[in-house]
Amino acid sequence: MTNENALSVQTERAEKAVIVCPVGRVDGSNVGVLESAIRELLDADQKTLVFDFEELNYISSAGLRVLLVTARRAQAEGGKALFCGLAEHIAHVFEISGFTNILTICQSRSEALAAL
Amino acid sequence: MSGGRTARIMVKPMPPREPQPNIDISLASDLSALPMLAQAIQEFGTAHALSRDLQSRLNLVLDELVTNSVCYALPDLVEPELRLRLFVDQDTIVAQLEDNGEAYNPFEEAPEPDTSLGIAERPIGGLGIFFVKKLTDSSTYERIDGRNRITLKNAIGGQASDE
Repeated sequence: MTNENALSVQTERAEKAVIVCPVGRVDGSNVGVLESAIRELLDADQKTLVFDFEELNYISSAGLRVLLVTARRAQAEGGKALFCGLAEHIAHVFEISGFTNILTICQSRSEALAAL
Repeated sequence: MSGGRTARIMVKPMPPREPQPNIDISLASDLSALPMLAQAIQEFGTAHALSRDLQSRLNLVLDELVTNSVCYALPDLVEPELRLRLFVDQDTIVAQLEDNGEAYNPFEEAPEPDTSLGIAERPIGGLGIFFVKKLTDSSTYERIDGRNRITLKNAIGGQASDE
């Protein structure tokens, strides 16, 4: 329970993409951690990102905003952002936000990597 | 004051914290209110054996309202106040959030996002109040004694009302 409210962002390099794994919770108080991790990747010309949400417990609209901006920037710069491993309650939030229609969502990391 | 006894009482270790059936707390008036909120919901959820889905829904809608309060209603106040109450009334969870900011009814004044727009056209933001409307069974606003009070209700065991 001690770390459940914290957020860390792990990144892993795959052949065609960088995998971004937020661990914990994303809300307005810590969204900057996610935002700067992503910005660092995009600025370093890593334009294809797979977000693996396996370890993500919670995301508010502050986090969704960052995901939308990221997907938009990646796309504009010739890359792509994919999302996988969404827990049911997070998938539900994606759905009511209309994100399911505008973002690429895959069941698993392997499915996301295969889609590249 | 002859120290001995008082000192002993003061160093007595705190008993382990039991899950709280009712929450009535003051939240910080900045974004550090969000982890406090998450903690309170976790305790409340444990005490009432609420499903994970319901807990995260409750957390999300209150998160959005707390974020609005601390970002817009409270920053200019000398003594900002933000109070959270959570209790169960029969089979319904009642969540109340009160701030002492200027009168603002988010349910009337916040514009509704168009969730059908494509990725390039989609405005950034505007989802918070939309979530509150979608993920609660009822949400009401009142202006009482110079405070904004938002009351949210969700049936325990009910499905999200997002059809």
